[in-house]
Amino acid sequence: MKRLLIVFLALTVTSVFAYGVDKHINLGDRATELKNEGKSRGIHPSLSEIRKMHPEFLLHKRDKTVHQGIRTRRNSLKECVDCHSTTKNDEYVPINAPEQFCSTCHQKVGTSLDCFSCHRTTPKEDL
Amino acid sequence: MSKKLNRRDFIKSTTAVTAGVATISSGITLTTFAAEDSPVTNEKRWGMLIDTNKLTESNIDDMVNVCQEENGWGSETHSTGAQKPDWIKKVKVRDKTTGKIDMLPMMCQHCEQPPCVDVCPTNASMKREDGVVLVDKHLCIGCRYCMMACPYGSRSFVHEDLSNQKEHMPRGKGTVESCTLCVHRVDKGGIPACAEAVSSDGVIFGDLYDANSKINQTLKKIQSTQIRADLNLNTGIRYSGI
Repeated sequence: MKRLLIVFLALTVTSVFAYGVDKHINLGDRATELKNEGKSRGIHPSLSEIRKMHPEFLLHKRDKTVHQGIRTRRNSLKECVDCHSTTKNDEYVPINAPEQFCSTCHQKVGTSLDCFSCHRTTPKEDL
Repeated sequence: MSKKLNRRDFIKSTTAVTAGVATISSGITLTTFAAEDSPVTNEKRWGMLIDTNKLTESNIDDMVNVCQEENGWGSETHSTGAQKPDWIKKVKVRDKTTGKIDMLPMMCQHCEQPPCVDVCPTNASMKREDGVVLVDKHLCIGCRYCMMACPYGSRSFVHEDLSNQKEHMPRGKGTVESCTLCVHRVDKGGIPACAEAVSSDGVIFGDLYDANSKINQTLKKIQSTQIRADLNLNTGIRYSGI
């Protein structure tokens, strides 16, 4: 029993530390701008919610768009890419490239998703 | 002397009042309009009328080119001829007896009873409420049954990895695709790119159900046909002049 408790405690402590160290190294150009202006709370009111729930939000929105033709900006993958991608040498870096916003977390938690074999990996056509 | 209200008068007055209320409330319902975030309904049915007499060969080429430009297909380098996507193509029809040649643009006909939807094992092939037939590529497993079922040969399969797709038109290897009637434009009040590319009345896009729409009125006036009308699919794309 005691051993189990120790294991549990050790796990909790490491996960807390891991959370502390785990910072978004690459938030994306527009998102960093918005965060510095203090406008990010208007887009994602709760950070923990968007972190946990964004797959559901995207899934819900995708069905609404494809089947019902609702093309609003909220929770659309386009908008994610618009704000969270970075530029390098006057060119956008694909958002699914290593060290980019999407892939940093997805690699860490070991999910492999297939959004970007179809969806565009950079914001609008012209920079 | 107080006036007594008999049965007949009562019915008369209530009828008048009801009629009045009905008139006002119908005015109110007329002013409510569809918001951007409301789903499409079956009160509309999008369609297109293509008049081959008014279309020149270069018009049809333009239609194909703007479709490629708008939706980002046609630059596949690793696909062979038959594998290349064909969302819209130029079809030449020749009458064997007279030698008369007709050119027509051919794409998904947006059937009311689409065979591609019937055969799809994953419900990826689907028809929207407003009559637009689409592939939900999230659900498509690339089995290509729909390509076999389509009498118009209007669907194609993506055979190679793609990049730099259009923002509004995700496309990828292993899924089937076809003309979407430019839903991304139509949902925002626009018209399909191919209809916009033709300046004459050769291509008319609109709501088939709306009695005031140009397409509805033109279809009432002129002789038009559906391709393979014998299949009773009730296509949304109509042709005249062939």
